[in-house]
Amino acid sequence: MTAARCWPSMDMLRSEPMQLVQLIIPIESAHRAISYLGDLGLFQFKDLNAEKSPFQRTYATQIKRCGEMARKLRFLRDQMKRTGFLSSSWSPMGTNVNLDELEVKLGEYEAELLEMNTNTEKLQRSYNELLEYKLVLEKASQVFYSAEHNAIAQHREVEQALGEGSIDSPLLLEQEMSSEPSKQVKLGFVSGLVAREKSMTFERILFRSTRGNVYHRQVVVEEPVTDPVSGDKVEKNVFVVFYSGERAKNKILKICDAFGANRYPFPDDIGKQYQMITEVSGKLSELKTTIDIGQLHRATLLQSIGYEFEQWNLLVKKEKSIYHTLNMLSLDVTKKCLVGEGWCPTFATNQIQNVLNRATVDSNSQVGAIFQVLHTKDSPPTYFRTNKFTSAFQEIVDAYGVAKYQEANPGVYTIVTFPFLFAVMFGDWGHGICLFLATLYFILREKKLSNQKLGDIMEMAFGGRYVIMMMALFSIYTGLIYNEFFSVPFELFGRSAYDCRDSTCREASTLGLIKVRHTYPFGVDPKWHGTRSELPFLNSLKMKMSILLGVVQMNLGIILSYYNAKFFRNDLNVWYQFVPQMIFLNSLFGYLSLLIIVKWCTGSQADLYHVMIYMFLSPTDDLGENQLFMGQKFLQIALLLAALVAVPWMLFPKPFLLKKQHEERHRGQAYALLDSTEDDSFELEEHKGSRGHEEFEFSEVFVHQVIHTIEFVLGAVSNTASYLRLWALSLAHSELSSVFYEKVLLLAWGFNNIFILIIGIVVFICATVGVLLLMETLSAFLHALRLHWVEFQSKFYEGDGYKFSPFSFVSIGDDEE
Amino acid sequence: MGFLVTTLIFLVVGIIASLCTRICCNRGPSANLLHLTLIITATVCCWMMWAIVYLSQMKPLIVPILNESE
Repeated sequence: MTAARCWPSMDMLRSEPMQLVQLIIPIESAHRAISYLGDLGLFQFKDLNAEKSPFQRTYATQIKRCGEMARKLRFLRDQMKRTGFLSSSWSPMGTNVNLDELEVKLGEYEAELLEMNTNTEKLQRSYNELLEYKLVLEKASQVFYSAEHNAIAQHREVEQALGEGSIDSPLLLEQEMSSEPSKQVKLGFVSGLVAREKSMTFERILFRSTRGNVYHRQVVVEEPVTDPVSGDKVEKNVFVVFYSGERAKNKILKICDAFGANRYPFPDDIGKQYQMITEVSGKLSELKTTIDIGQLHRATLLQSIGYEFEQWNLLVKKEKSIYHTLNMLSLDVTKKCLVGEGWCPTFATNQIQNVLNRATVDSNSQVGAIFQVLHTKDSPPTYFRTNKFTSAFQEIVDAYGVAKYQEANPGVYTIVTFPFLFAVMFGDWGHGICLFLATLYFILREKKLSNQKLGDIMEMAFGGRYVIMMMALFSIYTGLIYNEFFSVPFELFGRSAYDCRDSTCREASTLGLIKVRHTYPFGVDPKWHGTRSELPFLNSLKMKMSILLGVVQMNLGIILSYYNAKFFRNDLNVWYQFVPQMIFLNSLFGYLSLLIIVKWCTGSQADLYHVMIYMFLSPTDDLGENQLFMGQKFLQIALLLAALVAVPWMLFPKPFLLKKQHEERHRGQAYALLDSTEDDSFELEEHKGSRGHEEFEFSEVFVHQVIHTIEFVLGAVSNTASYLRLWALSLAHSELSSVFYEKVLLLAWGFNNIFILIIGIVVFICATVGVLLLMETLSAFLHALRLHWVEFQSKFYEGDGYKFSPFSFVSIGDDEE
Repeated sequence: MGFLVTTLIFLVVGIIASLCTRICCNRGPSANLLHLTLIITATVCCWMMWAIVYLSQMKPLIVPILNESE
């Protein structure tokens, strides 16, 4: 809705004018057009296919393709991470890769990597098995020799016992050994490796199951061995089990399998043993080289992928979002073009048309795209053009509620009043300077920090850097006014106004000083700090200041509601809401502010609590010594009557007048329907519910008005009192600050010891940073925010709009799926 | 310096600040109006705070009573 404005428009005060636009794009240029619109980032598409499921939509297959490619990219990234490669940061210049080519490439890479991985696994497994075999060959031979030795020794003992000691006996030793097996009972044996922790159980079960008819030896392997199956390093023992008989053999084999003990054949012959060992060693070195070459190949492949990975990633995400958007457009009956609807700001009309033309040209299409503005009663999204400075403040306002389309944006005033109210509660120019230096660091390294990924808290602090800077600047100002530098006052702006009554200063601690010179020109007089009457004076000052600031801000809120009413041509709101609200607020609290100022100017001793309370309780009584000016009694009676009249003025007329308005409109509408057939034939019937006139329930409107009135009347008192938090927090801050200064720093100074002084300084700095700079900042931030959201915005803000979220590629790069 | 003189100083500082912003960042009438509004709001806020503190000290009802030790 436009209104005749007799003043120029202001940036950011009201949402940019938005329009509902219909785009008709031929199919061949559709993809390109959407891509360019995404680059522009100023068009919000409406979903015209909302009833369809994801599988019924036109481009479902394309999205599946993109999803597949994204999966492959995730797989590649996983592989790169496993080998410890980090993909290099995305460079915008690079060969423009086509989506189809990319799909093929990704498929190839994935297949290749999978194959390489399985091969490597297989090779690694055989490598480990061969290692184990080698160990068996080495260790088992010990068992055999020691066993044979024992057997031979026993045999010789028996022979010697029989008495035949021949000189030839030693020479026959070998012969005996070689002929031993044939003379003995045929023993079979099983050799292999078993995990050390299972070895005892293994032995026991073997013993039990074969009824003790096996001979079992184990040799410890010192270093842990890589298990071929699991790939972990396990401590193992080499075992040899001698058995006789087929059944025992089967049992032993089954037990080995159950315990996961790997079996390896062991040749009897020494010569064969040596041969096997050399063979195995040869194979091992061969395998090692093969595995190493394989790893090298994989690493080079991953590295080459890593160079282009980010670019591919971005491309796939972009394509997916383009297809999502294309799915929102509806296919025309002729199947030759796509129809889309969406919101865009009016100032972007030319840009969008240029973009569409460029897409037509680039895709060699015969037909151009059509751009048509539709008229609708739907409420458009709200769009404020913000820069890096104002966006943080706008976000603060949006966190409460996004502004209704074209209502006044409190963000404009928030840019100044929010840091100002923060500073009223924070007021210390030393702390302000610290805060300013901290935020200056963020601002100076803006470009670098905005590309990095910061932690959550740092991210918030960085995002709000301009807010904090304003807060710091205002804090320096209010600190100078409160005259507090880490709670120490300075005489910067001239001489203090107070001095002793006489030259002896005897009564300085009983009756106090007197004002001998002009008022201290800027801020609180430095003589107040540390005196006994400091708190009564400062409390009185800060409480009155809070009321004055609060009344001014609330009046600003009501005046903004006047401008809203004027903009939306809502005369009802002007006469039956704005005027009674102003009268009510100002006749009570505006009058209180006036009394405060008059009392200060005249130096009267009147008790303002008494005056205000008795204004209500007994307005016709004589004021006596509480009189501040002539005619005060009559003025008070008049203001009281005005406030009493304002309440029913806010409450009653509006619902009746709304009803009358609605009836007039309703009566007139029956005649208007015939004219509407001349509208554009292109208008779709998507505007369900916006054409039909709203139902008018009188009781609902009346109750709404009652609630609104009660809220305002009670709110006037409670909101004014709420502003006293400005006093409370400012008192807390100055008290904390002075405690840290006096009880830490001055105490440490008093000891005249360098170490205690250093400790004192460290404690002071930690306490100042932790409690005052961090906690108090957050606390004052929160309270200033509350004052804005509740006390200020409730006077005029509706905040039930929705934000303009255009289709744009800018935000895509940041998501991590 | 009196109340009125300092008020005039605030006014002059405000005018100078708005002129500076007009010269430095002249970005079209709507942006200029925004900057002007911000400067006026800031000046009014700062002036109000100073004025409140000044007025409260002009005719004091309480005077500083020093501590015994001083």
